[in-house]
Amino acid sequence: MFELFTSMMKEEWRVHSTMFGSLSFALFPVLIFGIALMGSFLLPLMRTTLPAGNLTMIVHANYLMLGIMVGAFGLLGNEVMNRRFGQASFLSYSARSLPLSDRFIFTNFVVKDTIYYFFLWVFPFGFGYILASPFTGVLIADALFLLLTLTLSFLFGLCGVFFLSTVYAWSKPVLLLLLLVLGAGIGGLSALAGLNPALFFPPLLLNSAFSWTNLLLSCAVLAALFGISLLLFNPESVGSEKKYKNSFTPLMERFGFLPNPPLAAKDIIDLYRSGSMVGQTIFSFILPLGVIWFFLSLMDRFFPPHGLLFLFAITTGVIASTMYTWVTMFDTFGPYACLPVTVSTLIASKLTTFSILQLIPAAFIAVVAVLSGEAAVLVPAVVLGISVSFYAVSVMAWLCGLSPNELVYDVKVLFVYLVLVGIVITLFTSVAFANPSYALSAVILAVPAWWFVEKAKIRWDAVDPAGF
Amino acid sequence: MTRVIEARDLSKAYGDVQAVDHVTLSVEEGALFGLLGPNGSGKTTMIRMLTGQTRPSSGTATVLGTDVVTDPVGVRWQVGIIPEQETPPSFLTAMEYLRFVAAVRRIPDIEKKADWWFDFLDFADKKDVLCKDLSRGTRQKLMFVQAFIHEPSLALIDEPLINFDPIMQDVVKDYLAGYVKKRRTVFISTHFLEVAEEICSAFAILHKGRPLHSGPVTELKEKGEHLPAFFLSLVRTDRHV
Repeated sequence: MFELFTSMMKEEWRVHSTMFGSLSFALFPVLIFGIALMGSFLLPLMRTTLPAGNLTMIVHANYLMLGIMVGAFGLLGNEVMNRRFGQASFLSYSARSLPLSDRFIFTNFVVKDTIYYFFLWVFPFGFGYILASPFTGVLIADALFLLLTLTLSFLFGLCGVFFLSTVYAWSKPVLLLLLLVLGAGIGGLSALAGLNPALFFPPLLLNSAFSWTNLLLSCAVLAALFGISLLLFNPESVGSEKKYKNSFTPLMERFGFLPNPPLAAKDIIDLYRSGSMVGQTIFSFILPLGVIWFFLSLMDRFFPPHGLLFLFAITTGVIASTMYTWVTMFDTFGPYACLPVTVSTLIASKLTTFSILQLIPAAFIAVVAVLSGEAAVLVPAVVLGISVSFYAVSVMAWLCGLSPNELVYDVKVLFVYLVLVGIVITLFTSVAFANPSYALSAVILAVPAWWFVEKAKIRWDAVDPAGF
Repeated sequence: MTRVIEARDLSKAYGDVQAVDHVTLSVEEGALFGLLGPNGSGKTTMIRMLTGQTRPSSGTATVLGTDVVTDPVGVRWQVGIIPEQETPPSFLTAMEYLRFVAAVRRIPDIEKKADWWFDFLDFADKKDVLCKDLSRGTRQKLMFVQAFIHEPSLALIDEPLINFDPIMQDVVKDYLAGYVKKRRTVFISTHFLEVAEEICSAFAILHKGRPLHSGPVTELKEKGEHLPAFFLSLVRTDRHV
């Protein structure tokens, strides 16, 4: 039965490599390796402003988030589960015609995802750090140990989302109850111990003090998350003939002031009925930002006044820009191929829907500003976050057109994206740190954003769309 | 007779693969034109080029007088299209999809027109079901409706009967035969040679992207030949060339 696993690995590779060429995709882990290797040499410089422990936390938070994102991709709710498994061309679906149980296929699928993304994301980073260790004064044993705890962080994100999304597909009220209990438990523990709850994260506990108990604890939690996911897993979501009342016409009328009301109405219905509006908001937005907030808050004392809020607003902006992937994941150009619609019209329409969704990050930043007692700088923080989001999405639209979910793994695309967005993040972090009211100047980002969108329309209209 | 489709030396290459190789063909108004060929012969690519979905590598084509390269959207405004793989959006109901199509194409009285089609193709009980939950045959019906609901003067259909049961195939064949009598044109690509012989007025055969033959069906009938046998002999001979 090992054939299924190896075939799934080959399939995943081919899916990615056929999209943008084997070489380009193969260079992706090399890029991650390069970043880690070069970043390692900057460690002494970083340590002058940040304690080593905090850097470790940031890296672990990143890998936890990465695991969450990999896990969240395609595994949100019954329908999205079906979208992933319902593709006849994918082995995870077509293997069901073989005498194999769904759980066996799902196990192979999860193990494949774990190993595949480990070698794509985790190992290159750890390897870069390990290779640099003789020159940076880090013990090789410590570098290897970091690779272990980063792997555990990544797996926590991956298995955590598999677990939560399976519970979500199984029973939404149970998921809500579970999140409430978890929140109350973590909050209570934190209040009792007087410590940031992030410090109770098992891989971080392990990293700060190795013990076999901590290692076993991490592995046991992972095994439990995966085991329960497997137990509750149910891929059968097709066959229902539930009837729906007309939501399209009222929505289209409500969006009458927008450039493409029918297209915007369709996108919102896609998000709502697929369960992604709630699912993505929880797993791809609130959850990663909650993690980031925990870790950033540990470094509050290193920032100028309001610095934490502005850094968080910028981070929220970057993550909010990925909402573009939410609205582009449900269809290729195929459903529009028989209509008088161009790719540029669709890009404009997806960006319109994206703009509607920006109410979520705007409200989120506002709530965080109020809760952290910084309501006085609420407006600059919201303006900064939303401006960064629009700028980042315009870069994404220019680089990826209607396929951001796939093209993110093109090393050239990712590199250009990181550079273009990184420059802006650095610049406006400095500006906001200098004076909170200067953050309002981020509205200037509307100019390059508009330019990138116009370029995106011209660029992607000139390419044959993936149609029928 | 007006020519509604004019293709000259149309070619399309995907890397090293020559999908369509210098095809010249014309389709006259009121024809039910069949594009025939084995798998991989370039039929779908031909339809994609004629509907402005993919740009030709070389050659020119006009559809209803509109250039497919310079004004692909103009072409799609005028024609009805059914892709080979039915692709109604997953999360709209069948009726909502038709409302969506009507909103994009600016078709008036959609409720009345849609109800007629639901009754005609016998799937009124599915109108409020999400497209993802429809059977392949019902999705094909829906795609058929979206292509004809604005009564285009030209419809291009990739495998029109492939997912229909025999009863529905009969309904659709009758509809297409009646449609072209109103001076409208239908361009189909199909593997069903018997069906093509039965309903098409003209046809062309593609093999390995190259045109092997084109002409009216009556020409064959006058010679006492049948389209399936003619097709097989032509393609088999070409395979050995």
